[in-house]
Amino acid sequence: MKRLNMKNIIFSTLFLTLPLLSNDTLFDKDIEEILSTESEMKADIGSRDGARNHLEANSAIDVVTAEQIEHSGLTSLVDVLRYYVAGFNAPETSVADGSDHVRAYTLRGMSADQILVLVNGKRLHTSALLHVNGTIGRGSSHVDLDTVAVRSIDRVEILRDGAAAQYGSDAIAGVINIILKGMGHKSSVSVHSGQRTKGDGQTYQVDSFVSIPLAYDGFVNITAEYKKQRDTQRAGKDDRLAIPSVKTHAGIPESKNYKAMLFSEIPLDGDVNIYTQALFNKRDSEASTFYRPPSVDSSSNPVEGFLPLLRAKIIDYSATVGIKGEFSDSTSWDLSSVYGESKIDYYVDNSMNYSLPSPSAFDNGSLKFSQSTTTLDIKRDFENFKLAGGAEYRHENYTIEAGDISSYTRTGSEGFAGYDPMNEVDEDRDSYALYLDGIYNITEKLMLEMAVRYEDYSDFDDSTTGKLALSYKLIPQLMFRSSISSGFRAPSLAQSQYSQTSSYVDTSGVLSAQGTFKTDHAVAKSFGAKDLTEEKSDHFTLGAVYQPTKNTSLTIDYFYIKVKDKIMLTPELSARTPQQQLVFAQHGVSKARFFINAADTRTTGVDIKLDYKHLFSNNSELNFRIWYNYAKNEIINSNYKSAATNDGSIKTMIEEGQPNDSWKFLTTYEYKKIYTTLNVSRYGSYSQMMDNHNYKFDAQWSTDLDIAYKITPDFKVAVGGQNIFDTLPDKWDGLNGTFYGSNGIKSYSRYSPVGYSGAYYYVRASYEF
Amino acid sequence: MLKIIIVALFFIYSSLHAYESEDKLQVVLVGKVAKYIKFHDNTTDTFTITVLRNNFGTLFDDIYKDKKIHSKPVTIKYIQTIDELETSDILYIPKVSSKELSKILTQTQNKNILTISDTRGFAQKGGVMQFYFVSQKIKIRINTYSANKQNLKVKPTLLRISDVVKEDKT
Repeated sequence: MKRLNMKNIIFSTLFLTLPLLSNDTLFDKDIEEILSTESEMKADIGSRDGARNHLEANSAIDVVTAEQIEHSGLTSLVDVLRYYVAGFNAPETSVADGSDHVRAYTLRGMSADQILVLVNGKRLHTSALLHVNGTIGRGSSHVDLDTVAVRSIDRVEILRDGAAAQYGSDAIAGVINIILKGMGHKSSVSVHSGQRTKGDGQTYQVDSFVSIPLAYDGFVNITAEYKKQRDTQRAGKDDRLAIPSVKTHAGIPESKNYKAMLFSEIPLDGDVNIYTQALFNKRDSEASTFYRPPSVDSSSNPVEGFLPLLRAKIIDYSATVGIKGEFSDSTSWDLSSVYGESKIDYYVDNSMNYSLPSPSAFDNGSLKFSQSTTTLDIKRDFENFKLAGGAEYRHENYTIEAGDISSYTRTGSEGFAGYDPMNEVDEDRDSYALYLDGIYNITEKLMLEMAVRYEDYSDFDDSTTGKLALSYKLIPQLMFRSSISSGFRAPSLAQSQYSQTSSYVDTSGVLSAQGTFKTDHAVAKSFGAKDLTEEKSDHFTLGAVYQPTKNTSLTIDYFYIKVKDKIMLTPELSARTPQQQLVFAQHGVSKARFFINAADTRTTGVDIKLDYKHLFSNNSELNFRIWYNYAKNEIINSNYKSAATNDGSIKTMIEEGQPNDSWKFLTTYEYKKIYTTLNVSRYGSYSQMMDNHNYKFDAQWSTDLDIAYKITPDFKVAVGGQNIFDTLPDKWDGLNGTFYGSNGIKSYSRYSPVGYSGAYYYVRASYEF
Repeated sequence: MLKIIIVALFFIYSSLHAYESEDKLQVVLVGKVAKYIKFHDNTTDTFTITVLRNNFGTLFDDIYKDKKIHSKPVTIKYIQTIDELETSDILYIPKVSSKELSKILTQTQNKNILTISDTRGFAQKGGVMQFYFVSQKIKIRINTYSANKQNLKVKPTLLRISDVVKEDKT
């Protein structure tokens, strides 16, 4: 009886007492305390309702703030999201051609191209790169998040729900909305320097954010960043050599990054604003391929061993111009146009073409993707109803330019063969969209949102998607939310148009071609390949938000995502039927891979997140977060039994290649001039198939620590470390290959969610003015 | 186990107000800034805050119930149009169009009223005090020229923690 009474007391307190405590002592605080009180975290995603408290949204939304980004000590947006978001996976690959230079990332273990990325609500173009090797992200082109200078970011909003009915193609696993710093932010300059405990991987970064105020709260904000990243070396010995030694480079590639961002708003008369936002990134990145041991060339002349180096010169930029305003009846409108382009020029140095009296350096050609989007949004608020609608036109272009002749002739440049003229492509497509989004506050407790979007693509059929979302506040502290929606992802132009073939001399001395073929190539058609069509998805979420106090929130969200006709790149296939053998012979091809709408997948899981904040009487502040993510990916139907999904390595990559579960334990403590951030992460186990055997790698813990000290109110210094206990993933257990194996050149799986470069320590300083 | 829960609950409750809604911060700040303003012509018995087209629900009533500003009980008045404005110490203006703002500022000119709004550019457009949010913190922008025209004297303590606009943009 006594225990029951205690429970009653607790629950009574939880559910009944708190509302009575509202509007209490805030008024009695000093004005300085009120000015330093944090307001609710708002997010402008998941609805066209405008920014609102992210905990009151009808879908799960997470927000990473500028302050959190700074105190993570991280210089890359991909790393920032991996640091804060459970279920966000971004392995560090190496010896994987272009994938070393544009890092893939995923949410909920889904595909990298199933995440839509926006900047201030405007679609950001994807990279020209198509991942074609056996890395996480294989077969996808996605937005290159490393093009964004983190110092320019006010917050990053992550919508964990399908939202194609609101934003269009790609919004299947979720949407990332990068909000740039607007008016009122202080200018700043900062420097960062660090290195790995093994003495390599030195990183130097200097960046500056300058805010120029204009009349009537207008502003011009400019961010510039320079970052130099030295490589890390974690390769094993090469046992092909008479005296085995380390020759290949495996680890983080060496790169130089130049970034610039612009965001400005210029208020005009009559409640009209002109705005611009721009992004520029120039990246020179160099990564190793596998070492070529001493051999002979085609004329039987001896050739010394060499390590081909693949260099990527990436230029990525985007520019947006828009005008927005409000009519006298409170109808707001926004007309904008965005142009974005990503270009990757490949070069191979320190290599040769065995079949030619060869140079050592090659121009291997380039990939380019551009996208222009023009959008008109209109919103109007009625008493209990908000209505938004709009139209969008998008034009995309994808090109491949061939490299120099020595890079692709016959066997091509070692390490990475150049694109040959047959690979060249210059393809366009257009799409049109109309959308409508309505929010109806049925009662104070019950909100209903409906969205519908129609899109018509020039290269495949039209698509209509819809979303229905509901939230219900049972009591002020407890809200239930649910959504059901359909979505789609258009095949990227890269998936439709990419091809790369390289030649090699087979054991009988015959020159054969192998590589990636377009779906309309006879070789692909011999396997039944068809023109790619869109991936279609169905989504269901059910969740609850419990806020017993204003400093505590607990969210639980279940998700179900079914993707039909997922586009995948087949493994390398050899001709099996007589008809295939004939086609292969006609084209001089020995192995081929191509894209197909390969399979239906199902993703189910749950996110559980607890946030707690405590203000002590000495004005120190403690923030604590626990976040658990579980996501299970399954192939539930294969459209091509003999091609992509029937291959064990691809099935393993999709179903087990990424951790099913992850934990985040984040603690920050601020006292006077000191701000400490401790982040402990646990990444679940994963598997990779090699030589038809499934190898499992255990879960890994990683601990990050950042301690910042304010020397003056404007000048701050910090020291910190990532993975400070220097944990490493498991090595291959039982695999003893030359290239992949516990004692091979690559002794760790490329799927490792934490990478394998070990601990990293840094110092940084920043000054605000 | 029960003890742990009780301790945890005590811990949680002892630190309320870590986060506040933007609305509540604004409503509270309206009264707090008033304490740093000298209202020269104020001869009334109550301190009046007038809210144009109230978007804050019952927040003003809840927060200022039984509260005093400048030793006077607070009265909250709600109006739908500026033409309904009577004698008031503070006028809170919601986000309004430039055209309507111009009308409001003209009608409140030289009336010893502290005009407050979160309308973009409000201070530079001739309003006395503007609230805005940067990185989840509320900020104050004061147009001292407009304050002087309204015969309001702003204490240096408030000016020190505010962004000050000095030009006449009216």
